Amino acid sequence: MEGEMLKGHLDMIVLAALAPGPAHGYAVIEEIRRKSGRAFNLPEGTVYPALHRLEQAGLLTSRWITAESGRRRRVYALTRRGDRALAERRAVWEQFSAAIGGLLKGAPPAGKPA
Amino acid sequence: MISNYLDALADALSFDRSLSRRVRQEVEDHLRESVAGDPIDDRLEAERHAVANFGDPHVLAAQFAVVSLARRTRRVGVAVALAIAGVFGAMKARVAWYGVVQWTMDEEARALGARVLSIDRFAFWSAAVVGLGALGYINRGRIPSVFHPGCRKELRRALLLCVSATGFLVVSVMSDGVLTALRLGADLCPASVIPIISMAIEIVCVGVVIFLILDTMRRAASTEALPRR
Repeated sequence: MEGEMLKGHLDMIVLAALAPGPAHGYAVIEEIRRKSGRAFNLPEGTVYPALHRLEQAGLLTSRWITAESGRRRRVYALTRRGDRALAERRAVWEQFSAAIGGLLKGAPPAGKPA
Repeated sequence: MISNYLDALADALSFDRSLSRRVRQEVEDHLRESVAGDPIDDRLEAERHAVANFGDPHVLAAQFAVVSLARRTRRVGVAVALAIAGVFGAMKARVAWYGVVQWTMDEEARALGARVLSIDRFAFWSAAVVGLGALGYINRGRIPSVFHPGCRKELRRALLLCVSATGFLVVSVMSDGVLTALRLGADLCPASVIPIISMAIEIVCVGVVIFLILDTMRRAASTEALPRR
């Protein structure tokens, strides 16, 4: 999938990857790969500025832990605001997706317009 | 290979040392885990894969720069607002103290005092209006994901508003200094301690804001060479 197209939705993708529970950067990327069926091909490093940006916006919280390997690891988790933001973005995306899907199929979309 | 990559990334993030340290640790953990999970037996090749998949350190540094400078600019905006509140509080405390000790200005100093007071009022309320405007401007939107030219323009505008507010505040504090000197005169007494402390508070408030603005401008200047993507 196109990198530029993905970048526009990166925040939502990262929030969705953290929805199952707290995770570190590498696990977030693995979750994105797993859930997307490896369709997204972004440089892995791109996820880290997004994690920092979302943390600054109050949508994520983070803390250091010591991994089994003995290395220090930063673990991120959704805050309540993050949960709400994800729900809002999911609703907007579903409306948008339904509208585009209907447009491409030539049929009117179900539900409200995006 | 990984060490060289981490050094390059830390160097590109040198505009923010605490961020650089944190990112280095996070990325090292990521790259080591990536190498451990790579099915290739050749460790050097696995490291090469991990580094290549992670992306150009300068492009990543530019993405981090947006987050870092946005955080710093917000801090400056809040500091400007707090400094204005601090100066206002110190000013009010001093005036209240003059009332308590019934400290009036000499007849000959009164005319000059009235002129300085009008400058002080104008400068303070200008600082308050511009400072609140700066805070509103800084907090009005989401942090962009890439360091595009528009983002730099917004940063410059935000800092310019903060500099203007601080300029007005400096004039206000200087006027307060003149007014305080006119009241105290040459003879200092125990009652002079409160006006002197309140003036020191005002000077510290303005000094902290000036330091934060200069620090943010220096960091912004050191990110100029980063790619604008």
